Amino acid sequence: MSESLAGGGAGRRSVTLRVRVGVTLALSLELTMGSAAQTPPPRDLTQFTLEDLMNVQVISVSKKEQKLAKTGAAIFVITQEDIRRSGATSIPDLLRMVPGVDVARVDHSTWAVSIRGFNDVYANKVLVLIDGRSVYHPVFSGVIWYAQEMPLENIERIEVIRGPGGTVWGANAMNGVINIITKSAKDTPGGLIRAGGGSNSQADGLAQYGHNIGQTGNYRVYGRYANLGKSDTAIFAPPGDSKRTWEGGFRSDWSLTPRDLLTVQGEVRLVNGGQTITGVVLQVPPVTATFVQAEGDDDGNLLARWTHTYSNGSDISLQAYYDQSHVFAFGANNWASIGNIDFQHHLRIAGRNDLVWGLSYRAGANRFSGNSLVTLHPLERTDSLYGAFVQDEITLTQTLSLTLGSKFEHNDYTGFEIEPSAQLVWAPNGRHTVWASAAKAIRQPSNIDSGLETISAVQPLGQGLYGLVTVSGNPNTKVEQLRDYETGYRAQISRRISLDVTGFLSFYKNLQTSEPQAPYFNPTGGYLAIPLIFDYKAHAVSYGAEAFANWNVTDRWKIGPGLSMLNMSLTRDASSGDSTIEQTPGRAPRRSYQGRSFINLGRSFEWDQTLGYTGPLAAGNIPGYVRLDTRFGWRWGEFCDFSVTGQNLLAPRHAEFPDIHFVDHMQDQRSVFGKITWRF
Amino acid sequence: MLSLFLLLGTALQLSAQAPAFDEYQVKAAFLYNFAKFVEWPPGTFANSTDPIGICIVGQNPFGSVLENMVQGKKVGDHTFAVRRLPDTEQASQCQILFIGAAEWKRTRVLLDAVKSTGVLTVGESDDFTVLGGIISFRLDGPRVRIKVDLQTAEHARLRISSKLLSLAEIAKKQP
Repeated sequence: MSESLAGGGAGRRSVTLRVRVGVTLALSLELTMGSAAQTPPPRDLTQFTLEDLMNVQVISVSKKEQKLAKTGAAIFVITQEDIRRSGATSIPDLLRMVPGVDVARVDHSTWAVSIRGFNDVYANKVLVLIDGRSVYHPVFSGVIWYAQEMPLENIERIEVIRGPGGTVWGANAMNGVINIITKSAKDTPGGLIRAGGGSNSQADGLAQYGHNIGQTGNYRVYGRYANLGKSDTAIFAPPGDSKRTWEGGFRSDWSLTPRDLLTVQGEVRLVNGGQTITGVVLQVPPVTATFVQAEGDDDGNLLARWTHTYSNGSDISLQAYYDQSHVFAFGANNWASIGNIDFQHHLRIAGRNDLVWGLSYRAGANRFSGNSLVTLHPLERTDSLYGAFVQDEITLTQTLSLTLGSKFEHNDYTGFEIEPSAQLVWAPNGRHTVWASAAKAIRQPSNIDSGLETISAVQPLGQGLYGLVTVSGNPNTKVEQLRDYETGYRAQISRRISLDVTGFLSFYKNLQTSEPQAPYFNPTGGYLAIPLIFDYKAHAVSYGAEAFANWNVTDRWKIGPGLSMLNMSLTRDASSGDSTIEQTPGRAPRRSYQGRSFINLGRSFEWDQTLGYTGPLAAGNIPGYVRLDTRFGWRWGEFCDFSVTGQNLLAPRHAEFPDIHFVDHMQDQRSVFGKITWRF
Repeated sequence: MLSLFLLLGTALQLSAQAPAFDEYQVKAAFLYNFAKFVEWPPGTFANSTDPIGICIVGQNPFGSVLENMVQGKKVGDHTFAVRRLPDTEQASQCQILFIGAAEWKRTRVLLDAVKSTGVLTVGESDDFTVLGGIISFRLDGPRVRIKVDLQTAEHARLRISSKLLSLAEIAKKQP
């Protein structure tokens, strides 16, 4: 259907109809690979004649990926080739290639990543999964990107779904889902040493080894160290945004029987660094100061997943993981432990129905250690989340199918929530697919929404008097709601050109606001308190479109242009006094364009460019900018690769995002990164 | 509770179980058979004992089945060598090149790289021959069917025996 560059937008069947998490698709691939591997042939098939072979009955576990092109959702798949040829050194950097995904580097190690608006360093409307493990932080309501590092070589693919995925993935998969799927250990045999370095004190080293365990198993282990220097910006505050990362991990995959696959994987990580923040210093009188504060993370997780496939292609899977993390920032610490279990059953009924249903349970315990600037109430809290989902793909005619489903989920803040969706897909032939969908999705509240206590600003009032602006959570939480309508078209226009276009219309209700309360004089503190309390009084309508194409211009040259458009208007209830919420639409560009070019120069040289324009952000008056990255890759023999990537070549530096949540934004710099990879 | 699910799942599926070969065992046997029924261009083999290279690009759905199957087998004086390749750069060592369904996104690009080079390309996507492949597998219920694009085979200077053609579906020329 679609071609190599950029994933062609062909949908993945997993995404809409059968899979709880992208992992299952990864598994299905493993199944196709693994199923045959250890079966001793009952009879020697080489003795069979062609006629005999034609009549042999086969057990098929292949998932017919072509069908994935017929998904009723806006999907973009980042492939291994895309990853390698982008020259990117981090996951957010990779996501820049996806139209509709907003990626902004706030400082060297802080990223704001969202889909279709609402961007923030704690963007809370996009769910991110790594091998089926949610990395959406339950306290911060967002993803701490610097703590989601991994060797990019080990990524099988990244599936990015724009638009709601609540029916399958549950709460917070509101504006989209980012599914990062790592390779099976079977696909990474042997040793790998990679060393890289570049400007901005950037260094990145990886050592990995993989091997089989007997007849049925494979494993890999790796260790990685990375250093990211601080920004060189001199215009703003003193930069302190460096990070050092040490991490190690393993993955093992076992074909217990031809039909049973077991994956066990885990990792530990330590990240140490800092960030430049501007916040209130509580002295007498209090002042606003800009300073460098320590920031980092240590975390570990362990995951096991078992799948069993039946001869007719139905399957069941069971996945469990434990994830523990300690994050420190703003002088505060948070320790979180999460246990999660998912069960899923996918079955085909009478040829017409392709049904998948599942159950999930999650328990989380959290402990916060705050300070006078930021704290949580209560400091310790345990939460549970349980749910079920069912989704059925009904084949109406040869070319028309309808998928209906819903998630039913219970959270400790707002009780039961339902997230239904419907998708209609018309695929008149292998070359064209037209789809339409309607869905409801939610963002569920988190600890911060109910229990945040922070002093956000100081206001001198003259004569030694001052006021302190505080922001507080509201125990009376609500879910933010989305009703979303989309339509899309995918086509293989010619043998060389494929195209994918999506349009969407989204209605958001009960978006969180910070409502000013009556100021009062605090006699013990001797200051005027100006409190803001979270409430849910904003609503938004957005519409837009994303399009991308893959064009194999010649056999050696391919390009992938893309564009996205977003128009959002936000309104508040008459009773709302939060004017800052009106900046929200201004934190995502209204227009952006991407273009990539991959050129093969002979057999061993590659020359690739990534060009992107991101429109201006009204919030913080961030001007639009153009990025140009170029990569030169050289394969030296069978075992050795070199590459040099220049990023941001057009300008020495530019800003990508305004200051947010105390974090001072820095400027992304022109940089060069070179690396050598040796496989043995 | 879990065991209940498993029981339920098992019960639902038991009726569908029947003794059969794995899909990729059968496809591997087909690949072996193709070597018997295809004639490569003159000069393909420097020596009559050179192995026939069967290459799998990218994702390998066969596991070790294919290697095990052709190990020690001969067609004429030719033995077999099974190779796994990340892409088509070393495809010159291949007489048969298998591109699995998982490689659907770059199937066309891979095929373009080896077209007319005397390599028998074998795939399993619906549009494999449309994209420029020579033989594609198709599942017809529980049975494996093959489709051959004669014109592409001719461009690649491959001669496919009438025996094989009589059992295959012949790809219609695309408008």
